Amino acid sequence: MRNRHESLWYMIFAPGVWAVHFVAVYGWAAVICAKGAPFALARGGIAVLTIIALGLILWHGVLAWRQWDFLDDGDHVHDRPTTNDRREFLGHAGLLLAIVAFVGVVFVSLPALLIGNCR
Amino acid sequence: MTAADLPPAGASSDVRDSPMQGIWPPTPAMLAEPVDPELSRAQARRLRKAWQSPRGWRHLSAVNNSHVGKWYGMTALAFMLAAGVLALMMRVQLAVPENEFLYADRFNQFFTMHGSAMMFLFAVPMFEAIGILLLPAMLGTRDMPFPRLSAYGYWCFLIGGVFVLGSVLFDAAPSSGWFMYPPLATEGEGIGADIWLLGLSFIEVASIAAAVELIVGVIKCRPPGMRINLMPLYAWYVLVVGGMILFAFPPLIAGDYLFELQRSLDWPFFDPERGGDPLLWQHLFWIFGHPEVYIIFLPSIAVAAMVVPTAARVPITGYSWIVLSAVGTGFLSFGLWVHHMFATGLPALSLGFFSAASEAVAIPTGVQIFAFIATLMVGRVRMILPLLWITGAVAIFTAGGLTGVMVALAPFDWQVHDTYFIVAHLHYTLFGGMVFPVIGGVYYFFPVIMKKALSERLGRWSFWLSFIGFNICFLPMHLTGLLGMPRRIYTYPGDLGWNTLNLVSTLGAFVLAAGILVFVWDLIRPKGHQPHTTRNPWDAGTLEWTHDVPEEVWGVRSIPYIRSRYPLWDQPDLLSRMDAGRFYLPDAPEGERETLITSAVDAVPQHVARLPGPGWSPLIAAVFTGGAFILPTFKMHLPAVISGCLAIAAIIWWLWTATARIPEKPAKDVGLGLRLPTYVSGPKASGWWAVFITMLGDATGFASLVFGVFFYWTARPDFPPPDASHAHLASSMGAAALFLASWAATRIARGLNASGSVAAARGLLLAAPILALGGCIGLVAAVWLPGLAPVSHAYPAMMWALVVWTVAHVLCGVIMQGYCLARSLAERMTPHHDADLWNTTLFWHFLIATCLVSSAMIALVPRVL
Repeated sequence: MRNRHESLWYMIFAPGVWAVHFVAVYGWAAVICAKGAPFALARGGIAVLTIIALGLILWHGVLAWRQWDFLDDGDHVHDRPTTNDRREFLGHAGLLLAIVAFVGVVFVSLPALLIGNCR
Repeated sequence: MTAADLPPAGASSDVRDSPMQGIWPPTPAMLAEPVDPELSRAQARRLRKAWQSPRGWRHLSAVNNSHVGKWYGMTALAFMLAAGVLALMMRVQLAVPENEFLYADRFNQFFTMHGSAMMFLFAVPMFEAIGILLLPAMLGTRDMPFPRLSAYGYWCFLIGGVFVLGSVLFDAAPSSGWFMYPPLATEGEGIGADIWLLGLSFIEVASIAAAVELIVGVIKCRPPGMRINLMPLYAWYVLVVGGMILFAFPPLIAGDYLFELQRSLDWPFFDPERGGDPLLWQHLFWIFGHPEVYIIFLPSIAVAAMVVPTAARVPITGYSWIVLSAVGTGFLSFGLWVHHMFATGLPALSLGFFSAASEAVAIPTGVQIFAFIATLMVGRVRMILPLLWITGAVAIFTAGGLTGVMVALAPFDWQVHDTYFIVAHLHYTLFGGMVFPVIGGVYYFFPVIMKKALSERLGRWSFWLSFIGFNICFLPMHLTGLLGMPRRIYTYPGDLGWNTLNLVSTLGAFVLAAGILVFVWDLIRPKGHQPHTTRNPWDAGTLEWTHDVPEEVWGVRSIPYIRSRYPLWDQPDLLSRMDAGRFYLPDAPEGERETLITSAVDAVPQHVARLPGPGWSPLIAAVFTGGAFILPTFKMHLPAVISGCLAIAAIIWWLWTATARIPEKPAKDVGLGLRLPTYVSGPKASGWWAVFITMLGDATGFASLVFGVFFYWTARPDFPPPDASHAHLASSMGAAALFLASWAATRIARGLNASGSVAAARGLLLAAPILALGGCIGLVAAVWLPGLAPVSHAYPAMMWALVVWTVAHVLCGVIMQGYCLARSLAERMTPHHDADLWNTTLFWHFLIATCLVSSAMIALVPRVL
């Protein structure tokens, strides 16, 4: 089994969660609105999906923060040819992507707070 | 591996798992040891001979990236100029009100072809051209991993492009806009829409081929030691864009597939009278269409990421931030497509999601602009000509980005939807995000490409003419749009206040055209008398500037060991050691074209890849593939089928003669005390990754069809119609069982073959295609027996579409199984040399998922919907 920090897939985990959340929220709202179900159901579903997505992104962000290990050596450049720099680089990029994904999920779920019906 | 050579504690699993023998990484003493000059010269002679290009008319059989890349770039430039001429003629028509320079239908053809050609024949192919041309140089590798695939992609692009663009000369071009909205495009007379659908689908094949090539190139062909945190930023962008192509183009191909079924067989996917819905096309088109904009933008801004550090003479500031920006933009760009559909009456809630994502994408996009500015601020900037183009690009792109944030708001978009405001916005983003950075990149990279410099004086003239002309042309269009002038009208009355603005735009368009022409002249003017440039005229730090002057076709003399993001700045002896052949693969004793394959994350050497040399098979395969796509436009269905069969034959001939060749020895010395295998199969092989990536794209196409089923279910009250007959349950399930059996036989055959039970494996490979064909019969019977009539309603049409898609893929799988059997019988596939079978098995893993989902979608899902 590979170490977590030896794989590129973990770096894109957070934006991947954003993508799944986006499709799920859009699909859920489309089905609720098309089939005439109560709007509260749309909001409730979106709330649940958003909490799950934010939780996953947060969890992943914490792991990425630990992998970056910034407070240890203050390195944010990672341009040396070492396993350590590569590990910290993937952690750093993973954390930044987790932040963007977090903001993205919050943005995408805001319409459910501001819009109150299917029109 | 001796005890002394064992990897140090804490080494990555790449080193622990590697089949290499000998020393890794090389010691400083080994690197410092001089190479005997006599030996070096003899090596260079052999290497040059192995990489020699064919001469005369045989030059067309060349597959080397430096040739194919140049053809690609020049062809894309020619198509751009043609599409630009169409734009100029439209501007002449619109210069004054009530003009009669172009009649309405011709005007429609021109704007359709202008948009289609600029997108499909210029912007995306130009990315592929630059990638194919420069990526190997930036990675210090000899060539792309699949040179013949590059050549095949190029020939597809050329044939398809000439066909599509040529139609405008015969007054037969598509005329429904570059997005081909039904019902206008489905009901349209003539063959214009078919030319668009079939011609551009054909070109999308080239795009996907390039995506596969570039992704595998970045992941597996980096020089030893170039860990993922040291990769040039251009490679990061290429990786992201390659991934985006895999998820963006297949929905369009699926859409084209449905559209062409409606055009030629009258299956009513987009006809609301028979249960269809034109909005499905809009969804599929824009799921492609919006990421497409970023597919164009990211690789061009990647050029800026190479120019900026060189001009500032410091490493890029915020490498991790730019990676964040590229990857983040790549993801978010898939959540924007409905902002092209704000005016279609979707629920406000749905619009809100896409509006929010459209605002969010400004964050990563802004981050990379700020990273460039920060780099320029901390550096000692030289205002070299390429940087002039880049700064112009950033200025224009920022303006386009700001109007983008405006139109991302649905209420504002409703006001300016389909007006010239949008025309201004999109040209600001595309000129700033693509045209200017690419021209800047041509000025920057021209010494690498042609070993000559472009003219500084002409370059500055070209820039200022283009920059000023562009703004004179497109800045007034914001106002024209706000004054209410709609897009795509061929003329307008003179009393609406649009006259002066339109005249100014037309004048600006010609100034812009003059600027582009100065650049083109600079590019193509004879340079025979001009001296070669120096090797590194800009004093850059990345590997492409180790190129040989005058040109050598081998890519690099020896493949370097890299320890820095800017090796030419930080590794002082790098260039002389590369030239002396101190590094890896300095020789070609067997006369083979070879390059190193390294691990994905840490670039640990894994094996030596033997690359195919020049050959006619890609060209011949492309011609017949072209026939299969182009002939149906003229209703020549039988010749099209024959052409398709010949294309398959040509591809099999290509694979049989040039891929997975069994080497004369299992491993070879590659220099610096390292010994690597010459044949690998499975996930270590680049071919396996190519199949994986291709199938990921294919799965996206299939997922788009499945999305279509659920889209109809939400959008239409009569899907499926209450009294509809459904697909035959027992036949569908029988088909699924047969497909499962065929898949299992293939998978077990791989294991048996590897363990030496060749006869048993052959038996299974004989049974597997028979089972699969049985499954096909079952699947067709499932929709045939209950009499599902595809012309009657979108529901049976969609079920048939799933079956046709699945059966076509199974037939490919059958050919692959048969191919493995034949390879085994011909002793070209053995227990140790089983790459073909690994790849076929991987194809079948994806295929069985398609088959099972398809069976469930036709027989089970409609019964519960």
